[in-house]
Amino acid sequence: MSRKPQKSAAEFNRDHLKREQKKMLLITPPEGVPLLFRRASLGARLGAQLLDLLITYGSLLLLAFLVTYLSWASWFSETTEALFAILAFLVRAPYYILTELVWNGRTIGKRIVKIRVISVNGRRLDPHQVVVRNLMKEAEVFLPIMLVIGVMTSSGWVKLAMAVWLLFVFAVPLFSRQNQRLGDMIAGTCVVEQPKIALAKELTERTHVATEKFVFEPHHLEHYGRFELQSLERILRDPARSQAAYDRDKEVARTIAKKIGFTDRIADMEASEFLSSFYGAQRASLESGQIFGDVREDKLHGKNGKSW
Amino acid sequence: MTNVGTTTDLRSVRFRREREAGWKRLEALVAQVERKGMRHLSFDEARELTSTYRQTINSLSVAREISLDHALLTYLENLAARAYLVIYAPQASIGSLITKLLVSGIPHAFRRSVPVLTIGFGLMIIGALIGFALVSGDSTWFYTFVPGELAGDRGPGASRAALETSLFGQDTLHQNALAAFAAYLISHNTQVAILCFALGVFWTLPTAFLTFYNGTILGAFVAVFAEKGLGYEVFGWLSIHGVTEISAICVAAAGGAQLGLAMLLPGEMTRKDALRVRGRDATKLLILAAIMLFAAGILEGFLRQLVQSTELRLLIGWGAGALWLCWLLFSGRGAKG
Repeated sequence: MSRKPQKSAAEFNRDHLKREQKKMLLITPPEGVPLLFRRASLGARLGAQLLDLLITYGSLLLLAFLVTYLSWASWFSETTEALFAILAFLVRAPYYILTELVWNGRTIGKRIVKIRVISVNGRRLDPHQVVVRNLMKEAEVFLPIMLVIGVMTSSGWVKLAMAVWLLFVFAVPLFSRQNQRLGDMIAGTCVVEQPKIALAKELTERTHVATEKFVFEPHHLEHYGRFELQSLERILRDPARSQAAYDRDKEVARTIAKKIGFTDRIADMEASEFLSSFYGAQRASLESGQIFGDVREDKLHGKNGKSW
Repeated sequence: MTNVGTTTDLRSVRFRREREAGWKRLEALVAQVERKGMRHLSFDEARELTSTYRQTINSLSVAREISLDHALLTYLENLAARAYLVIYAPQASIGSLITKLLVSGIPHAFRRSVPVLTIGFGLMIIGALIGFALVSGDSTWFYTFVPGELAGDRGPGASRAALETSLFGQDTLHQNALAAFAAYLISHNTQVAILCFALGVFWTLPTAFLTFYNGTILGAFVAVFAEKGLGYEVFGWLSIHGVTEISAICVAAAGGAQLGLAMLLPGEMTRKDALRVRGRDATKLLILAAIMLFAAGILEGFLRQLVQSTELRLLIGWGAGALWLCWLLFSGRGAKG
């Protein structure tokens, strides 16, 4: 009986990185510099779809309600009924195609959820791609759903077949490499997130004052690599000023001091100051090392990154 | 010498200081376009957009190499991606897209698709012939082919008078032409067309079966009427919208066959790539089928019960067919695909 070996830190980092990379999509525009997009989660996409359904059919219902309520009762005849049948036809594929064409890959629902369709080949989103992915949505999802509900058919076999088909269709994005649904695959598109990120302040500029207080020798700075530096960056950028954050800073400062063999006393009050000044020194050291080709990915550099 | 350089000397800090203004400018321009659209940019601003975009892309590729500042990197990634989406946006307006599609896109796709169109129309015709032959020989075949709800009271047992009313009588269900049109849109044939197209992905088999099967239904119907000596009349009745409508199903089936052939015979490409390449023409065929179904709906809703003379029905039906063919064969010749 062998126990499952404990994950080493290196393995943990590697797995973490892999998981993060799996969520990303590299698009190479004609400029040749690949751009990173984060794939939209399936939840966000489902949400956008439901919003779109709500908007299209909701406005349709509202219109129907208004027509009847405003007592154009005489007018509410076969003609209005027919008009609504035609409108109901138009709020399906034509709605999605038009909105995605006008807003470059965003329906109203997608705009609200802040996701969008992009072309995976790095070129602009082709109208053909928009048409294909939305026509396929019609054939993939809407028609089978209508058949399962029992519109247009009463055959149990058809319903069963369509239910199986729907299961398959919904499973495809779960397992496909880019979370694409069938229509996305055929059209060569992918749905990505698009949050706006503001430029954060440069961390090292704050360390001016602190440089004199803590002085790091070169041997202090050869322990950590990029991964640890960026973890420290995350801590420093955390705006929380609570007791918990204060305790964490203290703990982190103590751990770092121990690891690098920093023997000067660090007062409890100075923990975060120590951290930012160490960040500045460590980054300077890693950067100057990088110029000479000494790239340190993490603290296991030079040890093949395999074991301790 | 204790400290490894003072922090202000950091290359990445200098890098950022020198370029930050450009990034901010790009960010402002991108935000403006995202809010109001490209049209509201002045000439200078548009030029600035592309030049700052190139600078930022450049910065990004450098930052990926040298910067250890994670926040800076994610900012640049994000900004570059946003700017990319603004710059590589569709340039044609909806109107010009539609015009191009109608003038050259669809006719070109049609003319490129002769083999699959042969499959679509061929299966329908063979199906119709077989259906006609079988039902003519033994009328009980009718019930094998035609589902009950579609047949209505037009089965083999119906009297000549009843059949005649169904051809020339007023449709009591839909007094209103528009209502008839709407009912038509969600009717049997539209579904068949959609299914014929979509199921083509499965190696063409379902498409072939559906098209063939619809042919047999058609043949069976005609056989029932022909038996009572109404062959010519039913031909006229079917022609007025059927030429357009049945062609639409065949065209949709041809589109499905494009997809199926990509799966069956991908050639040197992977199946995924083959689907993408063939999908271009397949989609255009489907749009064509949708347009034709729409037209058939108008013909059916407004004209079928209105026009009572069989000769006129034939003229309208086949005239419409000739018009379709003219458009598809001659439009957009000499234009670039």
